[in-house]
Amino acid sequence: MDLAVETHGLTRTFGTLRAVDGIDLAVPAGSFFGFLGPNGAGKSTTIKCLTGLLRPSSGTMRILGLDPMTDPVAVKRRIGVVPEDLALFDRLTALETLTFVADVHGLDESVARERANDLLDLMDLKAAGATLVTDFSHGMRKKLSLAAALLPAPRLLFLDEPFEGIDAVASRQIKELLHSFVERGGTIFLTSHILEIVERLSTHIGVIANGRLVAQGPIEELRTGAAGAHSLEELFIKLVGGDTRAPVALDWI
Amino acid sequence: MFRTLRAFAWMRWRVLMNSIERTGTRDTLERLSIAVEQIGPLIALGLMLPSAGLLALLGGYTGYLLPGAERVLPFNAIRILLALATGFCVLGPILLPTMERTSAVRLLLLPIPQRVLYIAQASGALSDPWLLLAVPVLLGIPVGLALHGALAGAAIAVLAGLALLITLVGLSALTAFALHLLVRDRRRGELVTLLVVIILPAIGLLPSLLMTSKTRAERRAERVARAERVARGDETRLERAARVGARAYTVLPSELAARATKSTADGDARGALMPLAGLAVTGLAFHGVAFVAFGRLLAAPGSSSRRQSATATSTRRAWIPGLSRAEAAVAHAQLRLALRTPRGRSMLISPLIVFAMFAALAVRQHEVELARLSLSGGLMLTAFSCAICLLSILPFALNQFAVDRAGLTLTLLSPISDRDLLIGKAVGNGLIAAMPAALCVMIAYAVFHDGPLALWINIVPGFVSTYAASAPAAAALSAVFPRSVNLNSIGRGSNAHGLAGFIGMIVMLAAGFPAAALTLVFTRIVGSPLLALVFVTVWCAIALIGSRLLFTVVAGIFERRRENLGLVVRK
Repeated sequence: MDLAVETHGLTRTFGTLRAVDGIDLAVPAGSFFGFLGPNGAGKSTTIKCLTGLLRPSSGTMRILGLDPMTDPVAVKRRIGVVPEDLALFDRLTALETLTFVADVHGLDESVARERANDLLDLMDLKAAGATLVTDFSHGMRKKLSLAAALLPAPRLLFLDEPFEGIDAVASRQIKELLHSFVERGGTIFLTSHILEIVERLSTHIGVIANGRLVAQGPIEELRTGAAGAHSLEELFIKLVGGDTRAPVALDWI
Repeated sequence: MFRTLRAFAWMRWRVLMNSIERTGTRDTLERLSIAVEQIGPLIALGLMLPSAGLLALLGGYTGYLLPGAERVLPFNAIRILLALATGFCVLGPILLPTMERTSAVRLLLLPIPQRVLYIAQASGALSDPWLLLAVPVLLGIPVGLALHGALAGAAIAVLAGLALLITLVGLSALTAFALHLLVRDRRRGELVTLLVVIILPAIGLLPSLLMTSKTRAERRAERVARAERVARGDETRLERAARVGARAYTVLPSELAARATKSTADGDARGALMPLAGLAVTGLAFHGVAFVAFGRLLAAPGSSSRRQSATATSTRRAWIPGLSRAEAAVAHAQLRLALRTPRGRSMLISPLIVFAMFAALAVRQHEVELARLSLSGGLMLTAFSCAICLLSILPFALNQFAVDRAGLTLTLLSPISDRDLLIGKAVGNGLIAAMPAALCVMIAYAVFHDGPLALWINIVPGFVSTYAASAPAAAALSAVFPRSVNLNSIGRGSNAHGLAGFIGMIVMLAAGFPAAALTLVFTRIVGSPLLALVFVTVWCAIALIGSRLLFTVVAGIFERRRENLGLVVRK
């Protein structure tokens, strides 16, 4: 099986905190991989390590068969990322942002123009093409960040909470787009707190809790493996130990 | 109400302490970087205590001397200090980036009446250093008066001091709230910021520009002549403005308080009534208007800014001769950042204003003296202006990665090598400095047209060599000492890291030394401007090649600090 993302003992520490604790990820090429975990579990740190924003404290990684530590530029040519902070220049317009991405990826001017127009159209940002990013709403920024990630036609997409703050219409279009991306052989590595979205879109999932990978594999396999888990939410709660916590009653409310 | 005020005071104290104690540092170098940043405020805080003690002594001594005295020198000093505090009440809220006390959205959610909220917010001004330092003076004077036996005078002085403090708090609140109303619209705010950024240095330069090398006797004769002209009603516009300004000074709140104190110290309690009443009315007026402004802020706390469109409407590839597309894209992004932020625009405009002021004076006086640097002729003036252009980009050049904020993450995620990124940034910064410099050179050449042509041409390699020699150091300092900045703010909020700024300034001056020295040697000693041009051009080529090589070394430093950079910009 071809792996788009492969890690062995990937660890990242911040002082005494082990944010990512020796995880062995195996994301099949052409899969829609949902990476789940409670708040502070280490999802974003893992994505930052995989995309080269953070250097792992130990462990190895291979992205599309390449080592991002030794060949970071080659890896970045093949991936697209929508990071947590959306990574946009405040003082560029939407169109200039896409032009910047096209330039650093070395795309032809005509190709860049065509793709930028298509993406702005898809994201309903065409009217805001000449608007500075600083004047964008959160949802608009998210859409532009996604457009910037898609522009160079990457083979692997890392999406950190891509649907947060996006309206229903755009969200539906983006889901369809991501589906067709996977159907054409692309791989998506997505984190989201909206389990329904992950359940509907993902073919595979990985669950991280306290920096450790507690499960990974095809979503159906995991669900049938966990006794009595009828939904992803149930499976998730079981895996992260949420079912063992006593319900809290605030009598004063 | 007391509990609310106590809660606000506690909140401000914790915010201050947390900013010092909990820095979220991730490695030793960043800890050092933050420690250096905090040394300045900590030293200032340390100096406040003895300063407050000395000021209290000065106040007490003045109060003791005041009754019956014709002219008390320390009293005049105190008047000046209080006038300065009054000025800072206006300038402080404009210049300091920490005007959190007017974050109205947060306050709207609190179950507190607007009146109490206003008092809690406005009283935050009492923690401003200029008001903190005014308190011991204002306390010292009545103590001194009481020690001298003028108890009634002491009581009035307490009243005057209290009224002055309340008035200054009102003035500070009024400025802060009015400013927030003004800058709520982002574009209007940026315009105001830009104007302040440009006007302040220009005002700072005025005394140096107006300073003349006249003797004391000449100045005295001038004063006498001016007095005669005033008596004849034949004064110039400038003199009339100065006279009005002097009259306005007498109605400053600090002057009203001083007059009330002096009158009562001299046993003229009635004479103290008018200034005290004036102070009360002024204070009430300030607080009244500030309260209305605060109410308007609370009524519509959101930004009223319309979306701003830039001119670009098509995908036009970045192109700069000699650079790869990726390098050119980085350079373009840096240039756009400068063109579209108040701090960036100020870097482009301020040198032009300085140039224009000196050029105007040079035309009028044929020679300008600034800090004993005689700028005779257009050539020297242009060289000086080019140096200002280079120095003015330091806030950007010495923090060239962190100024991008989230944009840096996009760059770090892009398939661009560290070296290409550094070169793109260096070219972008160079262009920011070169644009006003080119304008200065062209205008100066058109206006003055003096000196040998070779020396005019010599300015170009001199400028390029200075920038090229300093650019790798600027990149290294930016990587080692990044600082999260807000380019909409003025002053410290958009400055580079203090240590980077200090070292960068020295490096920039040192980088300009070879070109300046070669020019001086070949023009003054050898007497050949042409040879100066040749040698400075050779030095420029060496600097460019050396710079390219040095960027390889700096790329290594950047590679080691890129993770920290990414974390700093996300703060």
